[in-house]
Amino acid sequence: MKSISLYEEKGSILNKLAPESKILYIILALVLPAIVGSKMVSVVFIAISIGLLLFSKVLKKTIPILGVSGFVLLTVVIIQGLFRAGNVTPLLTLGPVIFYKEGLLFAFNIVVNVLNILLSFCVLILATKPSDMIENFVRKGFSPRFGYVFISVFQIIPQMTETMATITDAQRSRGMETEGNLLVRIKAFLPLISPVVMSSLINTKERALALEVRGFNAKNKKTFLNDEKKSSADKYIQITMILLLIAGIVWRVVGCLK
Amino acid sequence: MDNNKILEMKALHFSYTEGDEILKGLDFVIDERSTAIIGQNGAGKTTFVKLLKGLLRPTSGSIHFEGNDIANMTVAQLAKHIGMVFQNPNDQIFKNRVIDEVMFGPLKIGMAESVAKQKADEALELVGLKDLAEKNPYDLGLSSRKLVAIASIIAMDTKVIIFDEPTIAQDYHGKELIKSVIRKLRFEGKTVITIIHDMDFVADTFERAIVFAKGNILLDGTTRDVFAKEDILKEAYLEQPNVTKLCQSLGYDEVFLTTEEFITYQKAKAK
Repeated sequence: MKSISLYEEKGSILNKLAPESKILYIILALVLPAIVGSKMVSVVFIAISIGLLLFSKVLKKTIPILGVSGFVLLTVVIIQGLFRAGNVTPLLTLGPVIFYKEGLLFAFNIVVNVLNILLSFCVLILATKPSDMIENFVRKGFSPRFGYVFISVFQIIPQMTETMATITDAQRSRGMETEGNLLVRIKAFLPLISPVVMSSLINTKERALALEVRGFNAKNKKTFLNDEKKSSADKYIQITMILLLIAGIVWRVVGCLK
Repeated sequence: MDNNKILEMKALHFSYTEGDEILKGLDFVIDERSTAIIGQNGAGKTTFVKLLKGLLRPTSGSIHFEGNDIANMTVAQLAKHIGMVFQNPNDQIFKNRVIDEVMFGPLKIGMAESVAKQKADEALELVGLKDLAEKNPYDLGLSSRKLVAIASIIAMDTKVIIFDEPTIAQDYHGKELIKSVIRKLRFEGKTVITIIHDMDFVADTFERAIVFAKGNILLDGTTRDVFAKEDILKEAYLEQPNVTKLCQSLGYDEVFLTTEEFITYQKAKAK
């Protein structure tokens, strides 16, 4: 079954860390630059994220993610560089096209922010199994019901995609055209969607029964099949990051008082 | 009649991802004999029948149906000649009445309404569901729904009919019914192919067995010849039919495929 999660087990250090550490990292990477008020901090975090991803052998998987947003960022650079209100200092002239310093600086800020957000989230998403993350939340007191809902999304969507493919095959085998102009596709809709809906309903019922049989609604304290995902380093990493955050706040407050 | 080339595979290769071949060069002919394709899960059986239906296309090599390369036919065109009953009937049923469901295929391949109705009635009669023609398929049990799916393909009156695991969820009565359906189709001159794990059913019903293993054909011959070769079957992680196994353990040299066979043999010997 194809997974919709971007996670891949590579046995890397990032894989072994507790999901909370990685979430804390995202918070730190996003909040600290704002507190300190310097874009340089963001740049440092971008470098750290790239380093972590490279070290965990998943940097390659960020390329499609960066590719999509990269296109948007490129348009931001062009539009702001050329047309931002307040553009006065020409920086670069390409024939009739003039890029202005103010606009480019503004665009640079946006680019740095977006890259920082994307890459720090990649540190979490590319190296964490979704079910591990949810399980750790549930351990910390998150409702197991909602936990199940979140995890099941990762199971049900690939399952439905697969069912859909089989159904398409089955109906095509009976001589139904599924490709072609709009009319053909509209006609094909009902024979394709009805079995999907029916089998989803049947599946849902069976899933509910299976869950109930295993005591899903039991009031007792729940146990977990998997061991908690954490390593000995997690505690220190989390403490370090919280200290960094406090240090940033203190530094800023002291700076304001002066 | 026999040994006509209905389907001919020439150097058939297939892979989903490059470098990971599922079928590794198959060269064989399917004739009018009823044929069971057996083999471990992942041996390439389902992939092979999907290729026959044109749902997948070979990475190299070709498949010829009555002499014509199927690469030149669309899936919808192929549907007139090769029918396939999928494993799970819930993957196809969408009409509110059994009869409409069974008539859907015939109408799609261009039969006139009256002909389609007639074929559908015949097919339902054959699988013993004639009285349920007006029912909603989802009010029937899984085993009856499977029979609806079988009828809906039989009604299309194709030259070749492929059954993917026809005996799943069937009790003794259901299995016997499917056996008789397969024999009847064979008698009418149709080529029946099946993918199946039920060896007793194969021994009883099919004339020819082909053993797939890791994308190659390990054995190919009459059911009797194939099931005689215990060692090679083991290599493909397959079991002999129960009667064959029992008689071999008891030291008989002959290969028995069914209990009836063995009983007849014993009775003749006693006389």
